[in-house]
Amino acid sequence: MDLLLDSLVSAFLLVISLDPEMFAIVGVSLKVSFGSTLIASLIGIPAGFAVSFNEFSGKRIVVTILNTLLALPTVVIGLMVYAFISRRGIFGIFDLLYTQKAIIIGQVILIVPVVTVFTLAAISRIDERYRKTAATLGANRRQTAWVVFREARFGIMAAVIAAYGRVISEVGISMMLGGNIKGFTRTMTTAMALEYDKGAFTLAVALGMILLGLSFGMNLLFHYLQGRTRV
Amino acid sequence: MILYRLSNIQKVYPGRTVLDISSLEIEAGKVYALLGPNGAGKTTLLNILAFLDAPSCGEMSFRSRKVRFTEAVLQQLRKKVVMVDQHPIMFTTSVYKNVEFGLKIRGVPKIDRERLVAESLDLVGMRRFISAPAHRLSGGETQRVALARALALSPEVFLCDEPTSGIDAENRQVVVDILRQINREKQISLIFTTHDRAQANSLTRRILSLEGGSLRAAAYENVFTGLIETRSDSTRCFRVRNGLRIKLTKSQAGPQGGRSRIVIDPAGLKLMPRTGNRQPADAISGRVVSAAFENDHVRVVVDAGVSLTAYLPQAEYRDKRILVGDAVDLLALPESIHFL
Repeated sequence: MDLLLDSLVSAFLLVISLDPEMFAIVGVSLKVSFGSTLIASLIGIPAGFAVSFNEFSGKRIVVTILNTLLALPTVVIGLMVYAFISRRGIFGIFDLLYTQKAIIIGQVILIVPVVTVFTLAAISRIDERYRKTAATLGANRRQTAWVVFREARFGIMAAVIAAYGRVISEVGISMMLGGNIKGFTRTMTTAMALEYDKGAFTLAVALGMILLGLSFGMNLLFHYLQGRTRV
Repeated sequence: MILYRLSNIQKVYPGRTVLDISSLEIEAGKVYALLGPNGAGKTTLLNILAFLDAPSCGEMSFRSRKVRFTEAVLQQLRKKVVMVDQHPIMFTTSVYKNVEFGLKIRGVPKIDRERLVAESLDLVGMRRFISAPAHRLSGGETQRVALARALALSPEVFLCDEPTSGIDAENRQVVVDILRQINREKQISLIFTTHDRAQANSLTRRILSLEGGSLRAAAYENVFTGLIETRSDSTRCFRVRNGLRIKLTKSQAGPQGGRSRIVIDPAGLKLMPRTGNRQPADAISGRVVSAAFENDHVRVVVDAGVSLTAYLPQAEYRDKRILVGDAVDLLALPESIHFL
Protein backbone atom coordinates (compact mmCIF):
# COMPACT_ATOMS: atom_id res chain seq x y z
CA MET A 1 0.00 0.00 0.00
CA ASP A 2 2.89 2.32 0.88
CA LEU A 3 4.53 1.58 -2.44
CA LEU A 4 1.38 2.56 -4.31
CA LEU A 5 0.88 5.75 -2.29
CA ASP A 6 4.54 6.75 -2.58
CA SER A 7 4.45 6.07 -6.32
CA LEU A 8 1.27 8.09 -6.75
CA VAL A 9 2.66 11.08 -4.83
CA SER A 10 5.98 10.97 -6.70
CA ALA A 11 4.17 10.56 -10.01
CA PHE A 12 1.95 13.53 -9.27
CA LEU A 13 5.02 15.66 -8.45
CA LEU A 14 6.64 14.49 -11.69
CA VAL A 15 3.59 15.52 -13.70
CA ILE A 16 3.34 18.99 -12.18
CA SER A 17 7.12 19.50 -12.53
CA LEU A 18 6.62 19.16 -16.31
CA ASP A 19 9.46 16.66 -16.62
CA PRO A 20 10.88 17.01 -20.19
CA GLU A 21 11.57 13.28 -20.66
CA MET A 22 8.07 12.38 -19.63
CA PHE A 23 6.54 14.96 -21.96
CA ALA A 24 8.73 13.76 -24.85
CA ILE A 25 7.27 10.27 -24.33
CA VAL A 26 3.73 11.67 -24.19
CA GLY A 27 4.44 13.66 -27.38
CA VAL A 28 5.55 10.54 -29.28
CA SER A 29 2.52 8.63 -28.06
CA LEU A 30 0.11 11.36 -29.12
CA LYS A 31 1.79 11.80 -32.50
CA VAL A 32 1.68 8.12 -33.50
CA SER A 33 -1.79 7.59 -32.03
CA PHE A 34 -3.29 10.60 -33.80
CA GLY A 35 -1.51 9.62 -37.01
CA SER A 36 -2.73 6.03 -36.98
CA THR A 37 -6.27 7.04 -35.90
CA LEU A 38 -6.46 9.60 -38.72
CA ILE A 39 -5.31 7.13 -41.38
CA ALA A 40 -7.53 4.34 -40.00
CA SER A 41 -10.51 6.73 -39.99
CA LEU A 42 -9.89 7.70 -43.59
CA ILE A 43 -9.98 3.99 -44.51
CA GLY A 44 -12.42 2.59 -41.96
CA ILE A 45 -15.23 5.17 -42.07
CA PRO A 46 -15.82 4.94 -45.86
CA ALA A 47 -15.37 1.16 -45.72
CA GLY A 48 -17.87 0.75 -42.86
CA PHE A 49 -20.30 3.10 -44.55
CA ALA A 50 -20.02 1.28 -47.88
CA VAL A 51 -20.58 -2.14 -46.31
CA SER A 52 -23.55 -0.94 -44.27
CA PHE A 53 -25.24 1.29 -46.86
CA ASN A 54 -25.03 -1.11 -49.80
CA GLU A 55 -26.57 -4.51 -50.28
CA PHE A 56 -24.32 -7.05 -51.99
CA SER A 57 -23.79 -10.78 -52.01
CA GLY A 58 -21.29 -11.89 -49.43
CA LYS A 59 -22.06 -8.97 -47.10
CA ARG A 60 -22.49 -11.27 -44.12
CA ILE A 61 -19.15 -12.91 -44.78
CA VAL A 62 -17.47 -9.50 -44.97
CA VAL A 63 -19.06 -8.48 -41.65
CA THR A 64 -17.99 -11.78 -40.05
CA ILE A 65 -14.39 -11.31 -41.25
CA LEU A 66 -14.35 -7.73 -39.94
CA ASN A 67 -15.66 -8.88 -36.56
CA THR A 68 -12.97 -11.56 -36.45
CA LEU A 69 -10.28 -8.97 -37.21
CA LEU A 70 -11.38 -7.04 -34.11
CA ALA A 71 -9.71 -9.72 -32.03
CA LEU A 72 -6.40 -9.57 -33.91
CA PRO A 73 -3.62 -9.68 -31.24
CA THR A 74 -1.09 -6.86 -31.36
CA VAL A 75 1.84 -9.29 -31.30
CA VAL A 76 0.50 -11.03 -34.41
CA ILE A 77 0.29 -7.68 -36.20
CA GLY A 78 3.77 -6.84 -34.91
CA LEU A 79 5.17 -10.08 -36.30
CA MET A 80 3.39 -9.68 -39.66
CA VAL A 81 4.52 -6.10 -40.18
CA TYR A 82 8.02 -7.00 -38.97
CA ALA A 83 8.22 -9.67 -41.67
CA PHE A 84 7.45 -7.07 -44.31
CA ILE A 85 9.54 -4.12 -43.11
CA SER A 86 12.61 -5.78 -41.61
CA ARG A 87 15.79 -5.61 -43.65
CA ARG A 88 15.01 -9.01 -45.21
CA GLY A 89 11.35 -8.14 -45.87
CA ILE A 90 9.99 -6.94 -49.20
CA PHE A 91 9.68 -3.37 -47.86
CA GLY A 92 13.08 -3.55 -46.15
CA ILE A 93 14.56 -0.98 -48.53
CA PHE A 94 12.35 1.72 -46.98
CA ASP A 95 14.16 1.30 -43.67
CA LEU A 96 10.95 1.55 -41.65
CA LEU A 97 11.70 -0.79 -38.78
CA TYR A 98 12.08 0.93 -35.39
CA THR A 99 10.56 4.19 -36.63
CA GLN A 100 7.37 5.98 -35.71
CA LYS A 101 6.06 5.16 -39.20
CA ALA A 102 6.39 1.45 -38.44
CA ILE A 103 4.31 1.88 -35.28
CA ILE A 104 1.69 3.82 -37.25
CA ILE A 105 1.51 1.08 -39.93
CA GLY A 106 0.96 -1.58 -37.27
CA GLN A 107 -1.58 0.49 -35.38
CA VAL A 108 -3.51 1.28 -38.56
CA ILE A 109 -3.84 -2.46 -39.21
CA LEU A 110 -5.00 -2.89 -35.61
CA ILE A 111 -7.74 -0.26 -35.66
CA VAL A 112 -9.07 -0.22 -39.23
CA PRO A 113 -11.40 -3.12 -38.28
CA VAL A 114 -12.44 -1.22 -35.12
CA VAL A 115 -13.38 1.93 -37.05
CA THR A 116 -15.01 -0.10 -39.85
CA VAL A 117 -17.12 -2.33 -37.59
CA PHE A 118 -18.21 0.49 -35.28
CA THR A 119 -19.06 2.72 -38.27
CA LEU A 120 -20.99 -0.15 -39.81
CA ALA A 121 -22.90 -0.63 -36.56
CA ALA A 122 -23.59 3.12 -36.27
CA ILE A 123 -24.97 3.29 -39.83
CA SER A 124 -27.04 0.11 -39.38
CA ARG A 125 -28.72 1.59 -36.32
CA ILE A 126 -29.96 4.61 -38.27
CA ASP A 127 -33.72 4.49 -38.77
CA GLU A 128 -34.68 3.35 -42.28
CA ARG A 129 -37.14 6.27 -42.45
CA TYR A 130 -34.23 8.71 -42.89
CA ARG A 131 -33.41 7.15 -46.24
CA LYS A 132 -37.04 7.05 -47.26
CA THR A 133 -37.63 10.67 -46.19
CA ALA A 134 -34.55 11.92 -48.04
CA ALA A 135 -35.58 9.98 -51.15
CA THR A 136 -39.16 11.25 -51.19
CA LEU A 137 -37.90 14.81 -50.75
CA GLY A 138 -35.94 14.34 -53.97
CA ALA A 139 -32.48 13.36 -52.74
CA ASN A 140 -30.36 11.22 -55.03
CA ARG A 141 -28.31 8.30 -53.75
CA ARG A 142 -25.31 10.44 -52.83
CA GLN A 143 -27.46 13.00 -50.99
CA THR A 144 -29.35 10.23 -49.20
CA ALA A 145 -26.02 8.71 -48.14
CA TRP A 146 -24.97 12.07 -46.75
CA VAL A 147 -28.21 12.32 -44.73
CA VAL A 148 -27.59 8.87 -43.24
CA PHE A 149 -23.95 9.73 -42.55
CA ARG A 150 -24.96 12.94 -40.81
CA GLU A 151 -27.48 11.16 -38.61
CA ALA A 152 -24.84 8.58 -37.67
CA ARG A 153 -22.15 11.15 -36.91
CA PHE A 154 -22.06 10.59 -33.15
CA GLY A 155 -21.80 6.83 -33.60
CA ILE A 156 -18.97 7.36 -36.08
CA MET A 157 -17.26 9.79 -33.71
CA ALA A 158 -17.54 7.14 -31.00
CA ALA A 159 -15.92 4.64 -33.39
CA VAL A 160 -12.95 6.99 -33.89
CA ILE A 161 -12.60 7.58 -30.14
CA ALA A 162 -12.73 3.84 -29.44
CA ALA A 163 -10.01 3.31 -32.04
CA TYR A 164 -7.90 6.08 -30.53
CA GLY A 165 -8.31 4.51 -27.10
CA ARG A 166 -7.18 1.18 -28.52
CA VAL A 167 -3.94 2.53 -30.04
CA ILE A 168 -2.88 4.86 -27.27
CA SER A 169 -3.05 2.00 -24.80
CA GLU A 170 -1.49 -0.77 -26.92
CA VAL A 171 2.04 -1.95 -26.19
CA GLY A 172 2.81 -4.92 -28.46
CA ILE A 173 3.06 -3.10 -31.78
CA SER A 174 4.89 -0.10 -30.35
CA MET A 175 7.45 -2.38 -28.69
CA MET A 176 7.99 -4.77 -31.63
CA LEU A 177 7.98 -2.25 -34.47
CA GLY A 178 9.14 0.87 -32.61
CA GLY A 179 11.84 -0.72 -30.53
CA ASN A 180 11.27 1.62 -27.56
CA ILE A 181 14.08 4.01 -28.58
CA LYS A 182 14.33 6.87 -26.11
CA GLY A 183 13.19 10.19 -27.51
CA PHE A 184 12.23 8.64 -30.83
CA THR A 185 9.88 5.66 -30.58
CA ARG A 186 9.36 5.43 -26.83
CA THR A 187 5.65 5.71 -26.18
CA MET A 188 3.81 5.92 -22.87
CA THR A 189 2.99 2.20 -22.81
CA THR A 190 6.48 0.99 -23.82
CA ALA A 191 8.05 3.38 -21.32
CA MET A 192 5.71 2.08 -18.61
CA ALA A 193 6.69 -1.50 -19.44
CA LEU A 194 10.40 -0.59 -19.32
CA GLU A 195 10.09 1.30 -16.03
CA TYR A 196 8.20 -1.62 -14.54
CA ASP A 197 11.01 -3.98 -15.61
CA LYS A 198 13.50 -1.65 -13.95
CA GLY A 199 11.42 -1.58 -10.79
CA ALA A 200 11.06 2.23 -11.08
CA PHE A 201 7.40 2.83 -10.62
CA THR A 202 7.30 6.61 -10.41
CA LEU A 203 7.51 7.38 -14.14
CA ALA A 204 5.31 4.36 -14.95
CA VAL A 205 2.57 5.54 -12.60
CA ALA A 206 2.93 9.14 -13.82
CA LEU A 207 2.51 8.00 -17.42
CA GLY A 208 -0.42 5.84 -16.38
CA MET A 209 -2.08 8.88 -14.82
CA ILE A 210 -1.53 10.90 -18.00
CA LEU A 211 -2.88 8.03 -20.11
CA LEU A 212 -6.05 7.89 -18.04
CA GLY A 213 -6.30 11.68 -18.13
CA LEU A 214 -6.05 11.68 -21.93
CA SER A 215 -8.78 9.04 -22.26
CA PHE A 216 -10.97 11.02 -19.89
CA GLY A 217 -10.27 14.22 -21.84
CA MET A 218 -11.17 12.59 -25.14
CA ASN A 219 -14.46 11.36 -23.75
CA LEU A 220 -15.22 14.77 -22.29
CA LEU A 221 -14.53 16.36 -25.67
CA PHE A 222 -16.81 13.85 -27.36
CA HIS A 223 -19.68 14.54 -24.97
CA TYR A 224 -19.12 18.28 -25.31
CA LEU A 225 -19.27 18.07 -29.11
CA GLN A 226 -22.32 15.82 -28.92
CA GLY A 227 -24.06 18.31 -26.68
CA ARG A 228 -23.17 21.27 -28.88
CA THR A 229 -24.00 19.67 -32.20
CA ARG A 230 -27.34 18.29 -31.12
CA VAL A 231 -29.51 21.37 -31.54
CA MET B 1 -56.79 14.30 -66.65
CA ILE B 2 -55.59 10.89 -65.52
CA LEU B 3 -52.65 11.21 -63.16
CA TYR B 4 -51.85 7.56 -62.51
CA ARG B 5 -52.90 4.56 -64.53
CA LEU B 6 -52.04 1.16 -63.05
CA SER B 7 -52.45 -2.10 -64.89
CA ASN B 8 -51.86 -5.57 -63.40
CA ILE B 9 -49.54 -4.16 -60.75
CA GLN B 10 -48.28 -6.76 -58.31
CA LYS B 11 -45.84 -6.66 -55.45
CA VAL B 12 -44.61 -10.07 -54.50
CA TYR B 13 -42.38 -11.08 -51.63
CA PRO B 14 -41.14 -14.66 -51.24
CA GLY B 15 -44.19 -16.76 -50.56
CA ARG B 16 -46.79 -13.99 -50.60
CA THR B 17 -48.37 -11.38 -52.83
CA VAL B 18 -48.91 -8.18 -50.87
CA LEU B 19 -50.42 -6.14 -53.69
CA ASP B 20 -52.40 -7.23 -56.71
CA ILE B 21 -54.19 -4.46 -58.60
CA SER B 22 -55.62 -5.33 -61.97
CA SER B 23 -56.65 -1.81 -62.91
CA LEU B 24 -56.69 1.59 -61.26
CA GLU B 25 -56.97 5.14 -62.53
CA ILE B 26 -56.41 8.21 -60.39
CA GLU B 27 -57.46 11.64 -61.60
CA ALA B 28 -55.32 14.74 -61.19
CA GLY B 29 -56.33 17.41 -58.69
CA LYS B 30 -58.64 15.13 -56.72
CA VAL B 31 -58.55 13.64 -53.24
CA TYR B 32 -58.43 9.84 -52.87
CA ALA B 33 -58.62 7.82 -49.69
CA LEU B 34 -57.10 4.35 -49.52
CA LEU B 35 -59.13 2.50 -46.94
CA GLY B 36 -58.30 -0.88 -45.53
CA PRO B 37 -57.17 -2.89 -42.52
CA ASN B 38 -53.54 -3.48 -41.53
CA GLY B 39 -51.75 -5.58 -44.11
CA ALA B 40 -54.20 -4.65 -46.85
CA GLY B 41 -51.40 -3.25 -49.01
CA LYS B 42 -52.14 0.45 -48.53
CA THR B 43 -48.58 1.49 -47.72
CA THR B 44 -47.15 -0.75 -50.44
CA LEU B 45 -49.42 0.92 -52.99
CA LEU B 46 -48.55 4.35 -51.63
CA ASN B 47 -44.81 3.57 -51.90
CA ILE B 48 -45.27 2.58 -55.54
CA LEU B 49 -47.30 5.73 -56.27
CA ALA B 50 -44.55 7.76 -54.53
CA PHE B 51 -41.94 6.08 -56.78
CA LEU B 52 -40.13 4.86 -53.70
CA ASP B 53 -40.64 1.24 -54.59
CA ALA B 54 -41.03 -0.66 -57.84
CA PRO B 55 -43.73 -3.27 -58.36
CA SER B 56 -42.74 -6.87 -59.08
CA CYS B 57 -44.69 -6.75 -62.32
CA GLY B 58 -47.30 -4.73 -64.16
CA GLU B 59 -47.45 -1.35 -65.85
CA MET B 60 -47.89 2.12 -64.49
CA SER B 61 -48.15 5.46 -66.23
CA PHE B 62 -47.84 8.89 -64.68
CA ARG B 63 -49.40 11.79 -66.57
CA SER B 64 -49.87 9.49 -69.57
CA ARG B 65 -46.18 8.57 -69.69
CA LYS B 66 -45.19 5.01 -69.00
CA VAL B 67 -43.02 4.71 -65.91
CA ARG B 68 -39.77 2.79 -66.31
CA PHE B 69 -38.75 1.53 -62.91
CA THR B 70 -35.09 2.41 -63.08
CA GLU B 71 -33.45 4.36 -60.26
CA ALA B 72 -32.66 7.32 -62.53
CA VAL B 73 -36.26 7.64 -63.78
CA LEU B 74 -37.78 7.12 -60.33
CA GLN B 75 -35.49 9.73 -58.86
CA GLN B 76 -36.68 12.31 -61.39
CA LEU B 77 -40.34 11.41 -60.79
CA ARG B 78 -39.86 11.70 -57.03
CA LYS B 79 -39.35 15.41 -57.49
CA LYS B 80 -43.02 15.66 -58.54
CA VAL B 81 -44.55 13.66 -55.72
CA VAL B 82 -43.95 13.75 -51.99
CA MET B 83 -44.95 11.21 -49.43
CA VAL B 84 -45.45 11.89 -45.75
CA ASP B 85 -44.90 8.82 -43.64
CA GLN B 86 -47.29 7.45 -41.03
CA HIS B 87 -44.72 8.29 -38.36
CA PRO B 88 -42.60 10.98 -40.01
CA ILE B 89 -39.02 11.34 -38.90
CA MET B 90 -37.22 14.63 -38.57
CA PHE B 91 -33.56 15.09 -39.44
CA THR B 92 -31.50 15.83 -36.32
CA THR B 93 -31.38 19.56 -36.94
CA SER B 94 -33.66 22.59 -36.78
CA VAL B 95 -37.20 22.80 -38.13
CA TYR B 96 -35.94 25.36 -40.67
CA LYS B 97 -33.28 23.02 -42.05
CA ASN B 98 -35.75 20.15 -42.23
CA VAL B 99 -38.20 22.14 -44.32
CA GLU B 100 -35.38 23.62 -46.38
CA PHE B 101 -33.89 20.20 -47.24
CA GLY B 102 -35.91 19.41 -50.38
CA LEU B 103 -35.62 22.98 -51.66
CA LYS B 104 -31.84 22.93 -51.28
CA ILE B 105 -31.67 19.68 -53.21
CA ARG B 106 -33.67 21.27 -56.02
CA GLY B 107 -31.20 24.17 -56.16
CA VAL B 108 -33.71 26.82 -55.04
CA PRO B 109 -31.84 30.09 -54.25
CA LYS B 110 -31.37 30.89 -50.55
CA ILE B 111 -33.66 33.94 -50.55
CA ASP B 112 -36.52 31.90 -52.07
CA ARG B 113 -35.82 29.04 -49.69
CA GLU B 114 -36.24 31.33 -46.70
CA ARG B 115 -39.55 32.63 -48.04
CA LEU B 116 -40.91 29.19 -48.92
CA VAL B 117 -39.93 27.68 -45.57
CA ALA B 118 -41.66 30.54 -43.73
CA GLU B 119 -44.80 30.24 -45.91
CA SER B 120 -45.02 26.48 -45.47
CA LEU B 121 -44.61 26.72 -41.72
CA ASP B 122 -47.25 29.45 -41.64
CA LEU B 123 -49.65 27.19 -43.48
CA VAL B 124 -49.36 24.49 -40.83
CA GLY B 125 -49.20 26.96 -37.94
CA MET B 126 -45.64 26.07 -36.96
CA ARG B 127 -43.77 29.27 -37.84
CA ARG B 128 -42.87 29.94 -34.20
CA PHE B 129 -40.94 26.65 -34.11
CA ILE B 130 -38.69 27.61 -37.04
CA SER B 131 -35.48 27.52 -34.97
CA ALA B 132 -36.54 24.67 -32.69
CA PRO B 133 -34.82 21.28 -32.77
CA ALA B 134 -37.11 19.30 -35.06
CA HIS B 135 -36.45 15.88 -33.50
CA ARG B 136 -37.74 17.11 -30.15
CA LEU B 137 -41.22 18.10 -31.34
CA SER B 138 -44.32 16.24 -30.17
CA GLY B 139 -46.11 13.76 -32.45
CA GLY B 140 -48.67 16.28 -33.69
CA GLU B 141 -46.07 19.00 -34.23
CA THR B 142 -43.82 16.56 -36.08
CA GLN B 143 -46.71 15.63 -38.35
CA ARG B 144 -47.37 19.30 -39.11
CA VAL B 145 -43.70 20.07 -39.82
CA ALA B 146 -43.57 16.97 -42.04
CA LEU B 147 -46.52 18.39 -43.99
CA ALA B 148 -44.75 21.76 -44.25
CA ARG B 149 -41.55 20.02 -45.41
CA ALA B 150 -43.50 18.35 -48.18
CA LEU B 151 -45.62 21.39 -49.04
CA ALA B 152 -42.60 23.65 -49.46
CA LEU B 153 -41.77 21.64 -52.57
CA SER B 154 -45.15 22.38 -54.23
CA PRO B 155 -45.53 18.78 -55.40
CA GLU B 156 -48.01 17.67 -58.05
CA VAL B 157 -49.08 14.81 -55.83
CA PHE B 158 -49.20 14.66 -52.09
CA LEU B 159 -49.23 11.18 -50.58
CA CYS B 160 -49.96 10.70 -46.90
CA ASP B 161 -49.72 7.42 -45.05
CA GLU B 162 -52.18 7.47 -42.16
CA PRO B 163 -51.73 11.22 -41.65
CA THR B 164 -53.57 11.35 -38.34
CA SER B 165 -52.51 8.15 -36.66
CA GLY B 166 -50.84 8.55 -33.30
CA ILE B 167 -51.69 12.22 -32.80
CA ASP B 168 -54.17 13.85 -30.46
CA ALA B 169 -57.67 14.97 -31.46
CA GLU B 170 -56.76 18.66 -31.71
CA ASN B 171 -53.81 18.05 -34.01
CA ARG B 172 -55.84 15.49 -35.97
CA GLN B 173 -58.38 18.12 -36.90
CA VAL B 174 -55.60 20.59 -37.77
CA VAL B 175 -53.97 18.02 -40.09
CA VAL B 176 -57.29 17.20 -41.79
CA ASP B 177 -57.94 20.91 -42.33
CA ILE B 178 -54.46 21.39 -43.80
CA LEU B 179 -54.97 18.49 -46.21
CA ARG B 180 -58.31 19.90 -47.32
CA GLN B 181 -56.75 23.34 -47.80
CA ILE B 182 -53.82 21.96 -49.82
CA ASN B 183 -56.15 20.33 -52.30
CA ARG B 184 -58.62 23.19 -52.51
CA GLU B 185 -56.22 26.11 -52.75
CA LYS B 186 -53.19 24.62 -54.42
CA GLN B 187 -54.99 22.03 -56.57
CA ILE B 188 -52.52 19.40 -55.42
CA SER B 189 -53.68 15.82 -55.92
CA LEU B 190 -53.98 14.15 -52.55
CA ILE B 191 -53.89 10.43 -51.87
CA PHE B 192 -53.99 9.27 -48.27
CA THR B 193 -54.42 6.00 -46.43
CA THR B 194 -56.60 5.57 -43.40
CA HIS B 195 -58.41 3.02 -41.26
CA ASP B 196 -60.99 5.59 -40.40
CA ARG B 197 -63.99 5.56 -42.67
CA ALA B 198 -65.37 8.79 -41.18
CA GLN B 199 -62.10 10.61 -41.82
CA ALA B 200 -62.02 9.34 -45.39
CA ASN B 201 -65.58 10.54 -45.88
CA SER B 202 -64.82 13.93 -44.41
CA LEU B 203 -62.19 14.56 -47.05
CA THR B 204 -63.43 12.81 -50.16
CA ARG B 205 -66.03 10.66 -51.79
CA ARG B 206 -63.34 8.87 -53.83
CA ILE B 207 -62.60 5.95 -51.59
CA LEU B 208 -60.54 2.99 -52.72
CA SER B 209 -60.98 -0.04 -50.48
CA LEU B 210 -58.10 -2.46 -50.22
CA GLU B 211 -58.40 -5.92 -48.77
CA GLY B 212 -55.67 -8.54 -48.93
CA GLY B 213 -53.72 -6.46 -51.44
CA SER B 214 -56.59 -6.11 -53.91
CA LEU B 215 -59.10 -3.38 -54.56
CA ARG B 216 -62.59 -4.30 -53.39
CA ALA B 217 -65.91 -2.95 -54.47
CA ALA B 218 -67.19 -3.22 -50.93
CA ALA B 219 -66.23 -0.42 -48.63
CA TYR B 220 -63.87 -1.34 -45.82
CA GLU B 221 -66.47 -1.55 -43.11
CA ASN B 222 -68.13 -4.39 -41.27
CA VAL B 223 -65.36 -6.79 -42.24
CA PHE B 224 -65.16 -9.75 -39.90
CA THR B 225 -63.07 -12.88 -39.53
CA GLY B 226 -64.76 -15.87 -37.92
CA LEU B 227 -65.98 -19.44 -38.12
CA ILE B 228 -68.92 -20.84 -40.07
CA GLU B 229 -71.02 -23.07 -37.87
CA THR B 230 -73.78 -25.43 -38.93
CA ARG B 231 -76.69 -25.73 -36.52
CA SER B 232 -78.72 -28.85 -35.84
CA ASP B 233 -81.46 -27.64 -38.20
CA SER B 234 -78.72 -27.47 -40.90
CA THR B 235 -78.83 -23.67 -41.04
CA ARG B 236 -75.49 -21.91 -40.99
CA CYS B 237 -74.27 -18.97 -39.02
CA PHE B 238 -71.06 -16.97 -38.96
CA ARG B 239 -69.52 -16.72 -35.49
CA VAL B 240 -67.31 -13.71 -34.94
CA ARG B 241 -64.42 -13.96 -32.48
CA ASN B 242 -66.27 -12.46 -29.50
CA GLY B 243 -69.22 -14.83 -29.83
CA LEU B 244 -71.46 -12.64 -31.99
CA ARG B 245 -73.45 -14.77 -34.46
CA ILE B 246 -74.68 -13.63 -37.89
CA LYS B 247 -77.24 -15.87 -39.52
CA LEU B 248 -76.58 -17.10 -43.05
CA THR B 249 -79.38 -18.30 -45.32
CA LYS B 250 -79.34 -21.68 -47.03
CA SER B 251 -79.06 -20.07 -50.40
CA GLN B 252 -76.10 -17.97 -49.28
CA ALA B 253 -73.03 -18.72 -51.37
CA GLY B 254 -69.66 -19.29 -49.71
CA PRO B 255 -67.94 -22.01 -47.72
CA GLN B 256 -69.96 -24.52 -45.68
CA GLY B 257 -67.61 -24.50 -42.71
CA GLY B 258 -64.26 -23.48 -41.32
CA ARG B 259 -62.61 -20.13 -40.95
CA SER B 260 -63.67 -17.34 -43.27
CA ARG B 261 -63.97 -13.61 -43.76
CA ILE B 262 -67.14 -11.71 -44.53
CA VAL B 263 -68.17 -8.15 -45.25
CA ILE B 264 -71.63 -6.76 -44.52
CA ASP B 265 -72.76 -3.88 -46.70
CA PRO B 266 -73.71 -1.08 -44.26
CA ALA B 267 -76.73 -0.25 -46.46
CA GLY B 268 -78.04 -3.79 -45.95
CA LEU B 269 -77.93 -3.63 -42.19
CA LYS B 270 -81.39 -2.80 -40.89
CA LEU B 271 -81.54 -0.79 -37.71
CA MET B 272 -84.46 -1.12 -35.30
CA PRO B 273 -84.98 0.72 -32.05
CA ARG B 274 -85.34 -1.67 -29.11
CA THR B 275 -88.89 -1.78 -27.81
CA GLY B 276 -89.25 -3.54 -24.48
CA ASN B 277 -87.23 -6.70 -23.90
CA ARG B 278 -88.26 -8.49 -27.05
CA GLN B 279 -85.53 -9.09 -29.54
CA PRO B 280 -86.35 -10.25 -33.09
CA ALA B 281 -85.00 -13.68 -33.98
CA ASP B 282 -81.45 -13.62 -35.41
CA ALA B 283 -81.11 -9.93 -34.65
CA ILE B 284 -77.89 -8.51 -33.28
CA SER B 285 -78.32 -6.26 -30.29
CA GLY B 286 -76.11 -3.31 -29.48
CA ARG B 287 -75.96 0.33 -28.54
CA VAL B 288 -75.54 3.34 -30.83
CA VAL B 289 -72.14 4.96 -30.29
CA SER B 290 -72.14 7.53 -33.09
CA ALA B 291 -74.27 8.90 -35.90
CA ALA B 292 -72.82 11.07 -38.66
CA PHE B 293 -74.72 12.79 -41.43
CA GLU B 294 -73.34 12.16 -44.91
CA ASN B 295 -75.25 13.99 -47.62
CA ASP B 296 -78.77 12.47 -47.55
CA HIS B 297 -77.77 9.47 -45.43
CA VAL B 298 -76.70 8.81 -41.87
CA ARG B 299 -73.84 6.51 -40.90
CA VAL B 300 -74.66 4.90 -37.55
CA VAL B 301 -72.03 2.98 -35.63
CA VAL B 302 -73.35 0.39 -33.20
CA ASP B 303 -71.33 -1.34 -30.50
CA ALA B 304 -72.50 -4.94 -30.55
CA GLY B 305 -69.37 -6.39 -29.00
CA VAL B 306 -67.82 -5.59 -32.34
CA SER B 307 -68.30 -2.32 -34.17
CA LEU B 308 -71.07 -2.50 -36.79
CA THR B 309 -71.92 0.30 -39.18
CA ALA B 310 -75.34 0.85 -40.70
CA TYR B 311 -75.97 3.32 -43.50
CA LEU B 312 -79.53 4.52 -43.81
CA PRO B 313 -81.42 7.36 -45.45
CA GLN B 314 -81.87 10.46 -43.31
CA ALA B 315 -85.65 10.22 -43.50
CA GLU B 316 -85.59 6.64 -42.19
CA TYR B 317 -83.20 7.65 -39.42
CA ARG B 318 -85.54 10.47 -38.34
CA ASP B 319 -88.60 8.20 -38.46
CA LYS B 320 -86.93 5.66 -36.18
CA ARG B 321 -85.93 8.36 -33.69
CA ILE B 322 -82.66 6.69 -32.80
CA LEU B 323 -80.22 8.61 -30.66
CA VAL B 324 -76.66 8.00 -29.60
CA GLY B 325 -76.72 5.74 -26.53
CA ASP B 326 -79.97 4.00 -27.51
CA ALA B 327 -80.23 0.21 -27.45
CA VAL B 328 -80.98 -1.11 -30.96
CA ASP B 329 -81.34 -4.35 -32.88
CA LEU B 330 -79.64 -4.97 -36.19
CA LEU B 331 -80.66 -7.38 -38.88
CA ALA B 332 -78.28 -8.20 -41.72
CA LEU B 333 -80.14 -8.75 -45.00
CA PRO B 334 -78.89 -11.93 -46.70
CA GLU B 335 -77.94 -10.06 -49.90
CA SER B 336 -75.76 -7.70 -47.90
CA ILE B 337 -73.41 -10.46 -46.66
CA HIS B 338 -70.49 -11.28 -48.92
CA PHE B 339 -67.60 -13.67 -48.43
CA LEU B 340 -64.12 -12.27 -49.03
